[in-house]
Amino acid sequence: MRQLLNGNEATAIAARLARVEVLASYPITPAAPAMEQIVRFISEGKLKAKFIRVESDHSALAAAVGAALAGARPLVVTNSQGLAYMSEVLYHASGLRLPIVMAVVNRGLAAPHTRFPDHGDAIAQEGSGWIQLFCENNQEVLDTLLQAYRLAEDERVRLPVMVHYESYIQSHTREVVEVPAPETVDKFLPLHRRPALDVDNPQAVNVVTGPDLYMDYKYRQDKALQDSQEVLCEVDTAYAELTGRSWGGTLGVYRLDGAEHIFVTMGSLASTCREVVDMLREDGLPVGLLKVRCFRPFPGEKVRSLLKGARTVTVLDKNIVYGSGGALAREVRASLYGPGPEGPFVYSYIAGLGGRDVTSEDVVRIYQMVEEKVKGNQEPLPYEWYGIE
Amino acid sequence: MAKDLPVVPSAPPGTMALKPVAAAWRERHPQIIEGRCNACGECLYFCPEGALKLKETEKGKELEINLDFCKGCGICAHECQRQALRMVAEYTGPQGLLG
Ligand code: SF4
Ligand code: SF4
Repeated sequence: MRQLLNGNEATAIAARLARVEVLASYPITPAAPAMEQIVRFISEGKLKAKFIRVESDHSALAAAVGAALAGARPLVVTNSQGLAYMSEVLYHASGLRLPIVMAVVNRGLAAPHTRFPDHGDAIAQEGSGWIQLFCENNQEVLDTLLQAYRLAEDERVRLPVMVHYESYIQSHTREVVEVPAPETVDKFLPLHRRPALDVDNPQAVNVVTGPDLYMDYKYRQDKALQDSQEVLCEVDTAYAELTGRSWGGTLGVYRLDGAEHIFVTMGSLASTCREVVDMLREDGLPVGLLKVRCFRPFPGEKVRSLLKGARTVTVLDKNIVYGSGGALAREVRASLYGPGPEGPFVYSYIAGLGGRDVTSEDVVRIYQMVEEKVKGNQEPLPYEWYGIE
Repeated sequence: MAKDLPVVPSAPPGTMALKPVAAAWRERHPQIIEGRCNACGECLYFCPEGALKLKETEKGKELEINLDFCKGCGICAHECQRQALRMVAEYTGPQGLLG
């Protein structure tokens, strides 16, 4: 069924379709409407779930950890400061290998206070051990949340997943979204109970672990995270078989055939760049787009094989890692480094922080600036800020 | 090869991962001196690790020391009015004192 949904409504409908059993959330703008809509579903009897009221985001995630340990299917909704406040518990969730799914409505981090979108909140948690998937539109939000549960609960993965979409650009903007039938989703995502707690065989979780075992636990956790790339691709294929929609698994490729200059980006900017690619291709310019859907684990090998033949790569980051640059550009450069023929120059731009619009005209402007540098044999700077005059 | 571990880091309550580890760093442990202990149970209240208990046997109550949890502090031996416990050195393993 086609419906006009904003990102938060898409999240609420995905929660209902996934038959989420526990919602642990603390209201925060702009994620709160998703929470409110799910609570409405619960009160109308359309979703059988327990809404846990908490006094903070830290407790919200702690409650979800408890729910997941008991084998329930939890959802957490938050953004920016809330996510930052959760960060201690994020590491518990991933270390305990709990299949929690969290919708994160990306919003710039304070200070100064903002409510507008960028990926700074997500990037700050890049080392938390969570799978991190970025969505470019509300259809992808709905589809990715459903895929996220199947991915998180897969025996080979057993890890928590963040599904990112941007505040206002997605959370409060309505788009046409194809909503799959509940029976279709039930087939794709049967309720999977794997309680970590067993009353007949009491165990303490999160036990003190000495040097003899800690590293082995971490090795296994990292391996599961790396291996989840393959599982995500499988899950995406299975989803496409049922709904006809694939999001490319870890990466979305667009007009890479013969592309000499490739844009790399994440989230809503991918839609903008796709339009720009079409515009420039009409002028006969050999450009393409690589959209990173899965930022953690980073699909470095695939990125390398897709980009190494290009002449120029331009990375657009809606985040700044202070003192280092754009997180995505850093990953792209790292994956291109190493043996073999010299790869393309990677130009890195920080753009659109705190909700500053990045229009298709801006992307064209960045393209032209990079092309001028290429003509002038100018090596890329570590990173540049776009739009700071 | 990484060690075979539970996916969710867990272990029996009261233990550290997989095994009780107090035994690995204890330097000494209490031993009951034959005939001195009257199973009054006083030491149970002082052991910070809950390593002591009185068990019922045919001959009546008897003190039992669970060395999996004993950290070797010696409080029990110090508190016993009858000097029924002696602390003995932990000679374990080829490395000597701290096996
Ligand atoms: S060791 Fe001493 S304190 Fe403990 S039960 Fe025996 S007599 Fe009582
Ligand atoms: S030595 Fe310390 S830990 Fe061991 S039994 Fe005595 S009081 Fe308990």
